[in-house]
Amino acid sequence: MRSVHRWFARLRNFMTGRRGDERLREELEEHLSMQTDENIRAGMSPGEARRQARLKLGGAEAVREEFHGEESLALLENLLRDSRYAMRQLRKSPGFTIPAVLTLALGIGATTAIFTLVEQVMLQSLPVARPDQLWRIGGQPHCCDWGGYSQDSDGEAGNWSLFSWEAFRLFRANTPGFQDLAALQAGNMPLVVQRSSSSGLPDTANGQYVSGNFFQTLGVSAWRGRLFVDADDLEGAPPVAVMSFHAWQEKYGSDPSVVGSTYRINRQAFTIIGVAPAGFIGAKVTSWGLPDIWMPLTAEPLMLGTTARIKNTRVDWLDLIGRVRPGANPKALQAQLQGELQGWLASHLADMSPQEKAVWQRQTLRLSPGGSGFSFLRRDYSEGLLLLMVTACCVLLVACANIANLLLARGLKNRQQTAVRVALGASRGRLVRNALLESATLSLIGGAAGVAVAWAGARLILYLAFHMMERTSWIPVQATPSTLVLLFALGVSVLTGAIFGMMPAWMSSQAEPVEALRGANREVAGGSHWAQKALVIAQAAVSLVLLSAAAMLGDSLRNLEHQNFGFDPNGRYLVSLGSPMLANYKQEQLVPLYRQIQDRFNAIPGVHSVSAATYAPMSGNQNGHDIRIQGKPEPNPKDDVSADWTRITPGFFETIGTSMVEGRTIDEGDNENTRHVAVVNEAFAKKFFGNQNPIGQHFGPGSMRNTGTYEIVGVVQSIHYVTWGFRDPARAMYYIPEAQTVPFDQRDLQSDELVSQNLWNIVIWAPEHPANMFSEVKNALAEVNPNLVMYDVQPYSRVIQETFDQQNMIASLAWLFGAVGLVLAAIGLYGVTAYGVEQRRSEIGVRMALGADRSSVTAMVLRGAFGQVGIGLGIGIPAAIGAGYLMSSQLFGVAPWNPLLLAGATLLLGLAALVAALIPAERAASTDPMQALRSE
Amino acid sequence: MKPKKDVPQGTLALMVLKTLDVLGPLHGYAVARRIEQISGDLLALNQGTLYPVLLRLEQEGAISSDWATSDNNRRARFYRLTRAGHKLLEIEKRDWEQTAAIIGRFFEVKAEDLV
Repeated sequence: MRSVHRWFARLRNFMTGRRGDERLREELEEHLSMQTDENIRAGMSPGEARRQARLKLGGAEAVREEFHGEESLALLENLLRDSRYAMRQLRKSPGFTIPAVLTLALGIGATTAIFTLVEQVMLQSLPVARPDQLWRIGGQPHCCDWGGYSQDSDGEAGNWSLFSWEAFRLFRANTPGFQDLAALQAGNMPLVVQRSSSSGLPDTANGQYVSGNFFQTLGVSAWRGRLFVDADDLEGAPPVAVMSFHAWQEKYGSDPSVVGSTYRINRQAFTIIGVAPAGFIGAKVTSWGLPDIWMPLTAEPLMLGTTARIKNTRVDWLDLIGRVRPGANPKALQAQLQGELQGWLASHLADMSPQEKAVWQRQTLRLSPGGSGFSFLRRDYSEGLLLLMVTACCVLLVACANIANLLLARGLKNRQQTAVRVALGASRGRLVRNALLESATLSLIGGAAGVAVAWAGARLILYLAFHMMERTSWIPVQATPSTLVLLFALGVSVLTGAIFGMMPAWMSSQAEPVEALRGANREVAGGSHWAQKALVIAQAAVSLVLLSAAAMLGDSLRNLEHQNFGFDPNGRYLVSLGSPMLANYKQEQLVPLYRQIQDRFNAIPGVHSVSAATYAPMSGNQNGHDIRIQGKPEPNPKDDVSADWTRITPGFFETIGTSMVEGRTIDEGDNENTRHVAVVNEAFAKKFFGNQNPIGQHFGPGSMRNTGTYEIVGVVQSIHYVTWGFRDPARAMYYIPEAQTVPFDQRDLQSDELVSQNLWNIVIWAPEHPANMFSEVKNALAEVNPNLVMYDVQPYSRVIQETFDQQNMIASLAWLFGAVGLVLAAIGLYGVTAYGVEQRRSEIGVRMALGADRSSVTAMVLRGAFGQVGIGLGIGIPAAIGAGYLMSSQLFGVAPWNPLLLAGATLLLGLAALVAALIPAERAASTDPMQALRSE
Repeated sequence: MKPKKDVPQGTLALMVLKTLDVLGPLHGYAVARRIEQISGDLLALNQGTLYPVLLRLEQEGAISSDWATSDNNRRARFYRLTRAGHKLLEIEKRDWEQTAAIIGRFFEVKAEDLV
């Protein structure tokens, strides 16, 4: 109690800056005169009386010190005074402070920039209530549709992550462990939106179907109006939709009258009942197609008619996410859901293919934490970000080593002064504290500058990764640092300060008072300190690893971009269209429409040929079927009988720049009146026919009764069609003509048959690269029908480049980090060598006086520098090879052990080291022996 | 001249409290003189060290101080015991007596008492 009282009094004094000096001075003065008076009364002379009084009082300064110590918080006050001192010291030597702060800003900035992204991509939860209670069904998130009753893939037992509407409703009704279970569309729904009262051209937008309890399950409430309730998600309920805050703000200028208005969405009247809160992007975190409009699941048939998936139990297209009841055990919940899945599958035995019947009992599902939703960003970017984080940390380490070196050099130069201080009675603790405080101050200033660097850096990374500036869509990642990022920067600053401050602090504590007596200019230890050399060695090693990693990643990117994709991207353009259904076309009008578009595009000057496809190569989409070959037995459940497929119009192979291997291509003669034909790729021929000639053979999708559907009329070169799996062998694929449709009696096949007649991509071959392709194409399309939706026209080289955006970002940043690391290491080497030369000036002078010539002095200095670099390489080369193995999953066509690249990196480092060491070596060589000796 | 003893650590505060208790409000010099007097000039007191102790006691709330005029018309800072100070003195006194009693017993004890 008393000590608390006392502490508060001290704190008050400290805060108010109150000093009792005046009071003490007066009291002591008073005390002295009283004692003097008394001494005079006792018979002393006035002078003697005062002297005796003083003696009796004791050392006034000691009393004052003690009084002040009693008065205030001495420790804190000293700390403040010391940091003010550190600031003053730093301000006084800008030649040291500015490079140090810049170096730190680069190091801390790089780390913080990467962390800005790591935080948002890997750590952040959805902006919803209690995200920790959310669990989703499935492992890695998948897009978009899955067909059939087995989710086996690549021979692995099916692990369900996508579900049909029926299964969702079954789970929701029978799983009390979930407080609520919601469903959302795993893909997205392209929309055109037009306000009923307006007559302008409609806007394109992204739609997503969600269950009526979606917003409630996530615990999100409306920004304006209201969000869905279950009653909105009943068949026959009036069509309603919810708009995202982002769309409301960007497309509708935050117009409050949006809520309650009727909009024509894909020609159906919907009432917008509300706007979702700011920052809420739904439960899917992706870099493409974030929803602008949410619609209830039961609105799907309204939009898609006969191709709707909602009643089709063979189509799995929903992600499920639920709020678990507090106290419920996720393990038990998972077991229960597993049972429900089995029960649901059992109820569809009659509908299953023989293969599905064989494996349905081993279908499983898994419950995963759902607080961060279905994050495709995390799935796609976490490995790359991790790699970059490690790289940035290496840069930071090199930067730390540099600062430590600068501080060490300064500490060595000030050794004399430190020794004097110790001799005069400065406590070692105080000296160490001062040294640490100086580092901490430095690193905090560096950290503050680093936050600015991080902000700019994060913007650069977002640009590299997502081409933000060129895109109309947006991504849920910002460059602006959050509180956590700022805390991270602070933590990193303090940590780096501690790391690079340790060495100089330790040196201060080793100062010997006797050194103060040894005279100012006498050199005790020649050259640079062993700690300085060790730091340079570490820097050389780390920057070699960085450089070789950058070289490998760059090489890998080059291999990816310049591999043989099986088609010729030169002079080819990719046009992305919306479904003509959005512009009120009927199914039977599609074939003539595409013919019309193709003819019109062909008339654009400079265009050589035009062809359309459901999906063009590397457009990011893919359709697949399990197929059956006529005359071959029913495949085993474990056999892989999948093949990708697309519809094309005549002239496709020529337009995309690939060539036929055998047989004929698809031409104008393949129409609704002729037999159904298909062209297969080489991989298909090899996968299903081996050495047999596939021409004339028949196959079909789904089940044995369809085996007669298509007759193979030609074999074409394999094209790498999908945007992944570049190391895998070519995938089997078949092409069918746009003009032929087959009536299937299975609903899912029939639905695919109709949907695929929408040709989303048109490939244009214009070898001369005519100017203004975008506006030419847009105008040509508008001439056909102004209501047709076009998303983009891109040169194919750009399409390929975009496919490797992530690798490009990683490689670019690795180069950047490698370069920064190299420069920092070179500066470090320069600093240490220059310092060594400075310290050995007199020795060099003596050598030269004794006959050493310039070149031998230069060689001596260079030998010293390269000795350190050499040891650094000795450590760095094995480390670089190790790093190559660690990141082999990120490499394409580059062996982790790559002598050529390693030699290149070594050479680069050697050159930088040569430049860094040559400058001080030259200076050493131009030492004037007379002057050097005189200054001793 | 008799050899003087150093003031044992921590006892100075107790002496200050007791002095103020007995004599009422006093200024610093008077406190110093009284302590010397009471101790029969056996204690060597660096009078200056009194002031940090006074400040500490004041910050602990045991004493309070104010400027006033002394007998010989000088302005001086007078210290007086607060209620908390009285209580503190009681506690310290009891502690001290207890300690002294224990130590005393050790000195009085004889070998045969312990058999």
